[in-house]
Amino acid sequence: MSLPPGLSSQTPPSHLVRWHSRIYAIAGLFVLLIVIAALATTIGSVKIPFLTTCQIMLSRLPWLHITPFWPSGVETIVLEIRLPRVILAGLVGAALATAGATYQGLFRNPLADPYLIGVAQGASLGAVIGFLLPATWHGMAAGVIPLFAFTGAIISTAIVYGLARVGKTLPVTTLILAGVALGALLGSIVSYLIISSGEKMHSIIFWLMGSFSLSQWADVRYVLPYVVVGTGVILLYARRLNVMQLDEEQAQQLGINVERLKIVLLVAATLITAAAVSFVGTIGFVGIVIPHAVRLLWGADHRFLLPLSVLTGAIFLILADLIARTVQAPTEIPIGVITAICGAPFFLYLLRRRKRVIF
Amino acid sequence: MLKNYIIPGLLFILLSIFLPGTQGCALPPAGQATSPAEIKDQMGRSVRLDKLPQRIISLAPSNTEIIYALGLQDKLVAVTDYCNYPPEAKQKPSIGGFSTPNIEKIVALAPDLILAASIHQKQIVPQLEERGMTVIALAPKSVNEVIAAITLVGEITHKEEASRLAAEMKSKIKVITDRTNNLTETQKPRVLNVIWHDPLMAAGSGTFADELIRMAGGVNIAGNLSGYPSISLETVIAANPQVIITGVDMGTGADAPLQFAQTEPRLRNIDARLNYRIYGIDTDLVGRAGPRITDALEQFARYIHPELFPENKR
Repeated sequence: MSLPPGLSSQTPPSHLVRWHSRIYAIAGLFVLLIVIAALATTIGSVKIPFLTTCQIMLSRLPWLHITPFWPSGVETIVLEIRLPRVILAGLVGAALATAGATYQGLFRNPLADPYLIGVAQGASLGAVIGFLLPATWHGMAAGVIPLFAFTGAIISTAIVYGLARVGKTLPVTTLILAGVALGALLGSIVSYLIISSGEKMHSIIFWLMGSFSLSQWADVRYVLPYVVVGTGVILLYARRLNVMQLDEEQAQQLGINVERLKIVLLVAATLITAAAVSFVGTIGFVGIVIPHAVRLLWGADHRFLLPLSVLTGAIFLILADLIARTVQAPTEIPIGVITAICGAPFFLYLLRRRKRVIF
Repeated sequence: MLKNYIIPGLLFILLSIFLPGTQGCALPPAGQATSPAEIKDQMGRSVRLDKLPQRIISLAPSNTEIIYALGLQDKLVAVTDYCNYPPEAKQKPSIGGFSTPNIEKIVALAPDLILAASIHQKQIVPQLEERGMTVIALAPKSVNEVIAAITLVGEITHKEEASRLAAEMKSKIKVITDRTNNLTETQKPRVLNVIWHDPLMAAGSGTFADELIRMAGGVNIAGNLSGYPSISLETVIAANPQVIITGVDMGTGADAPLQFAQTEPRLRNIDARLNYRIYGIDTDLVGRAGPRITDALEQFARYIHPELFPENKR
């Protein structure tokens, strides 16, 4: 009697091979992320020699002593414009991809994206109200738009949550329907406000399509804690998300507090999405394409899907922003346009190449 | 729901890219009135005028300013929501927005002359003509064409004030260009006109601001881009403008772009900031193809060459 190939004594079992390949993928993508982030910082509408940008970045490391030979403007461009921008793009990409993967797993619905339960519409409405406020408000603080967008996102998600709640349970279908309905309502209010916004229309539309054009370190400082804590919490629940894929009742029987799991994951995913969206606008496509691409390449096990989505999302958005700011330099294109143009064909290619059911 | 924005958004951007371009081609100067009255307007259309207009509707703030400057306000029946200058224009009945005038309301007011603008070319003008309205389009693309537009309105309405106003505007221009024409390239400061700060948008070529900067003896650092492009912060730092002029909305007091230019930490080392040469100018003054465009030129000249134009505003 011969053993099945996976159990032969020479080669390790096939599930271990897959396990290893995913560990390598995480390590590889992490290295790739660092390389791409560094590379993206060296490229921009202003041409600065590659080595100079490297030296500028390295000069900030405490144990290296490089005497500056570059003009201060160049240092400002590299350290205060490009670097925070690249890091913020990475954080937002990671946040949206993770939130997308979380919602898809939680709702067991492949069409779920970070904006499914009203985050984007709430953020948009908040932001548009912020834009339409009298000018004196804008003088008070630079961060009126992010503050309003964040508040709007949280309020609208809370409303959806409240509407969908039945007793002590939160039926997923009701949640999605409530999200879609409230989203449509808020969306129409936003459309109306845009039409009547007159001269501010251009800024509002640019915001809605997403932009990193004025990203600065302060933005990174606001977004970072949400993304780190939120993503961390979600990663801790990866195994329980796997069990959730069975069926809520079975998960309950296997000792998982399903309702608590839903609340924790919803709050975490909503917070990271809201934080990301409020600073850079509603960037589409990342939250739906990245998790699916990861699933196609490395499988649907959430213990790997989630960290791989974090890394792939970050890499994708850094690259998309690089294209947005260089392809038509010195003019900048809204990043939402790039994510859709690059993301959709790539995703369709993956879908055709692996002709199998993925979800 | 994102799709709801992307499509109109893209349309909006495409329109803002292509609209100025398509209309830039070979605009004839304001035509002469031939009797009985066959008028050639600034979009190349031939319009028959049978009698002297008595009921005029303005579809653009700049047109309203021209009408008041020529003393035609008694014949002005209605204006747009955005017509805020002179202040008494706000008392006139409104026919809706600048880009979205209400056709029914216009027809109901039975005007015998409608002064339209270039943005009304595709949809509004044909709709009005179908209903038998007389429409003249004022679509100036340069300061000289603004003067031509004023002259054209003067001819249509038989207002001699128009030639006086045109002469006054020309002399204001001459005072400035006489002094700035002799400047060498090195004497011309690098200028940036910031339209909005988030996203950072500047006035590029083909805009009035670009022409005003050049007439006032400056070099527009966004002059190699056309229209109102969004421009990256690092480009601004690398180009190191010596003068920054930002749009300030006098109506609402919105001076966010001015505050941005004055306080954005990453602009701290550019020349304009180091030498305190950051200014605000009423956006309506620069953006409107009306009689006040030469006032905007005078302000630009004072901001760009204070040594040549030290006198205070009259």
